[in-house]
Amino acid sequence: MKEPQSSRRGFLKAAAGMTAVAAAAPALLASQSSKNGNFYGYEEKVVGLASKIKGAGEMDFNYPDVDSPCKAVMVNGQIKAYSLLCTHKGCPIMYNATKKAFRCPCHFSEFDAQLDGQMIIGQATENIPEILVKIEDDKIIAYGVNGLIYGRESNIKG
Amino acid sequence: MGFSINDKRPLPPVGATKKNITCEFCIVGCGYTAYKWPKGTSGSDKRNALGVDFSKQQPALGVWASEQMVNSVIDRDGKEYNVMVIPDQNCVVNLGQNSARGGAMAATLYSKSTFTRDRLKDPQVYGGNNLNRTTWGDATDLAARVLKKIIDNDGPDQIAFKAFDHGGGGGGYENTWGTGKLFFKAIQTRSAAIHNRPAYNSEVHATREMGIGELNTSYYDTELSDTIFVIGANPYETQSNLFIMHWAQNLQGGTIDAKKKEFDRGETAESGKIIFVDPRVTSSITNAVALAGKDNVLHLRIKPGTDVTLMNALFTYIHEKGWEAKDFIKKHTENFKKTANANAVSLRKASKVTGISVSDIKKAASWIAKPKKSGHRPRTAIYYEKGIIWGIKNYENVASIANLAILTQSVGRVGTGVCRLGGHQEGYVRPETPEGMPGRKNLVVIDAEAAEGNYLAFFAWGCNPFVDSIMGERLATSIKRRSDIVKKAMSRNIGADNETMADAIYRACKYDGGLFMIDIDIYPTFKSEVAHVEFPAATTMEMNLTSMNGERRVRLSEKIVDAPGTAKPDCLIAAEIANAIKSLYKKEGNTKMAKRFEGFNWKTEEDAFNDGFAGQGAKMDSQGGPTGVLASYDLLRANGNNGVQNPIKKVSNGKLVGTRRLYTDNKFGTKSGKAMFQPTPQPPMPRQVKNQMKKYEFWVNSGRVNEVWQSNYHTSRLPMPSTRWPIAPMEINPKDAHAKGISNGDLVMLHNDYGSIRVVAYVTDSTRSGELFVAFGFPNSPLNNLVTDFVDPDTKIPFYKGTAASMRKIGRVEDIANTMSFKSRI
Repeated sequence: MKEPQSSRRGFLKAAAGMTAVAAAAPALLASQSSKNGNFYGYEEKVVGLASKIKGAGEMDFNYPDVDSPCKAVMVNGQIKAYSLLCTHKGCPIMYNATKKAFRCPCHFSEFDAQLDGQMIIGQATENIPEILVKIEDDKIIAYGVNGLIYGRESNIKG
Repeated sequence: MGFSINDKRPLPPVGATKKNITCEFCIVGCGYTAYKWPKGTSGSDKRNALGVDFSKQQPALGVWASEQMVNSVIDRDGKEYNVMVIPDQNCVVNLGQNSARGGAMAATLYSKSTFTRDRLKDPQVYGGNNLNRTTWGDATDLAARVLKKIIDNDGPDQIAFKAFDHGGGGGGYENTWGTGKLFFKAIQTRSAAIHNRPAYNSEVHATREMGIGELNTSYYDTELSDTIFVIGANPYETQSNLFIMHWAQNLQGGTIDAKKKEFDRGETAESGKIIFVDPRVTSSITNAVALAGKDNVLHLRIKPGTDVTLMNALFTYIHEKGWEAKDFIKKHTENFKKTANANAVSLRKASKVTGISVSDIKKAASWIAKPKKSGHRPRTAIYYEKGIIWGIKNYENVASIANLAILTQSVGRVGTGVCRLGGHQEGYVRPETPEGMPGRKNLVVIDAEAAEGNYLAFFAWGCNPFVDSIMGERLATSIKRRSDIVKKAMSRNIGADNETMADAIYRACKYDGGLFMIDIDIYPTFKSEVAHVEFPAATTMEMNLTSMNGERRVRLSEKIVDAPGTAKPDCLIAAEIANAIKSLYKKEGNTKMAKRFEGFNWKTEEDAFNDGFAGQGAKMDSQGGPTGVLASYDLLRANGNNGVQNPIKKVSNGKLVGTRRLYTDNKFGTKSGKAMFQPTPQPPMPRQVKNQMKKYEFWVNSGRVNEVWQSNYHTSRLPMPSTRWPIAPMEINPKDAHAKGISNGDLVMLHNDYGSIRVVAYVTDSTRSGELFVAFGFPNSPLNNLVTDFVDPDTKIPFYKGTAASMRKIGRVEDIANTMSFKSRI
């Protein structure tokens, strides 16, 4: 994969080190995945504890694999989770807990965490993919993705 | 959305058909690459036409196709294909970047399984309370018979037409030439109006008369500017990739090395600064602050309608400080002293009129004109758009900005320019009528005339006059009434042959006040409800199409799919109509008139291009100019998505070579070759608008939201924009919302003497108390309904941005209130 055309345009300061951000997101509890109960080929995976997120307000995880950073947030009294890769050009989006919205530092697209990731403003052609989660015995279980994750032709690789 | 269908995209196999596409939307004209391959075949994640290994997660800013970038189509061969349209990494305009609009081009393709399925597919003729699909021969014959009767008995000026004059989708050099040749050379009517305004005029008469074409610099030059001065424009939302790919780079200091290379020896080269003149806080302004820091962004939050005073104050202060380009003014301009005297205004007075502090006016002047540390004149690029063009008085608004540019020599030099930012791309090449068009002061306001009962036939071609004209509600009501008169006459003649029917139509128009309506478009609109004959057009990706972007860059956007049904490129529709009229004249032996309709023997859009842009050169009013004749489809294809910047200089080794920047030799487009200053007194508030301000509570400004394009024809059919903006939003300040008991998502009626619309309330600090901002271009809540009939008497350009209305809270429609976000966009 060649780098974006002009390095004279390797431009936006905020974008610097973005690949590192994507890679650095920890694969929380990755071992606790299940081959059972999958949905359209997605594996169910325990990604965290509901009790913890209720206190912290947000939690990073990876789903459906280690290369796909995601964040779960408390909004409207429930846990919602989204991909952290902007659907415009793949920069890591940042969560604003006050606004309950994600903002991309590269080209300023914003997505509403309270409205299924709807783009508030910006240059993406898609809303941010929602990671479908359910709670069982305090465990947050990811079981699917609604929307194509940036940088993939298929959410499930291979 | 269901996740069984949107978590996987097909990939083009190696060897898939690959074409260059220029974005059909805004003036920036980004380059895209389209791939097409038979359904059922696919590239693999490792081996595909994109050359990208999708078994690995792609890095940011890489090559990727989002959901909207892929579609499936059925061509006229009956076979199904997948089509992918992605931004081109090698195009110098956008370097692989898409906007929210262009990125959805694949989704705009005609598909039987999406909301684009209602594309117009075949010609239609009114009968039995409906439009009925028919053949091209039948529809053109009926239209031709009516038009011929009008030409013969009443003269061609009784045939009015309102049509695109631009590039991009719904335009292009092929189609402006085809339609222009039909109306001006063959029919020879002078009753013409342009798609978004009620007369046949330029939006920039002033700058042209001052000797400066409105698109005189390059996007690269704006990367080199010391100061970018933006007046009445919101480029993050409306010229997105110019802002994101070029200005952002400059504002962040990413182009300092390039500046050092291009500037004079020893000249200071630093990060760019940016000034905005806007009554609103826009996303462009807040994003500029994020890029450049607040110390390098200046927002002059102007009172509506006072831009001329601000420009005059900047002019006066720069002159007082001795920062004007003295040598340049002496050698290359005229009318300086007279203008300086006429425009002189004290900073104190200007501050009072505009609402901008004296210190901010001084700061802006110093950013624009104060010599840099090295003593060199700053390089200022000045950009304006609809906030000025559609402002209080078009001529003076534009002229006052051009004055400032000439004063500071912000034209012709590296890093400078005085340009409109533009809406759509350009694509003008048209003949004139034998008598010539009336001068700008004598232009007829076609839409108002039609509403008042003038004309016997009216073409609405590739535009929606009921969304894009003055006093929209009155216009729609009147046209509907006049259309119904013709419909009744047609209903009385059910089963008649075309000659009998044409006669009935003609009589209804001539004697009963009817208006024969011909609609040419790609989708049904309100026009379909008033049309008697309707022709289906092809658009971008369905035809080869050439246009010019905001830096005069011409590209060949190639055909990749078939248009739906029997839809044709507009140039070939014009040819069908001309040939049908010619054949009627021939039949009656009128060779003189038949000859007038000759010259439409085109088989393809390339024939129209070769006849127009590449065929006329200096003979016609063409953006190609005399050297346009050097262009051909083959040469443009060879230059790919980077095309060539008009005017073409030469062909060198099979490549077209163009012009980066205009006026580098200081020779301007006036008789004397000198740039002409123009006195620009502050225009008064027009009487009609003043009356509305007296009677109604809120000032109403208007503009764009980035996902919605023109009259929302494509974008209202796409999943994301249609959910984001189901109807037009009305931005209202929290203080006003509180006083009116209005919350986010409330449905509000705005009304004044001219009409009313329903909009959805969006509470935001973007707008000031007492001022509303309503999104423009929504057919289901057309802001134009509130616009007065005022036009600048000197140019006939409307004051779309200025009216007043009162509001009434209607209540809530939960499907609107609960499905769109109301979070701050700034």
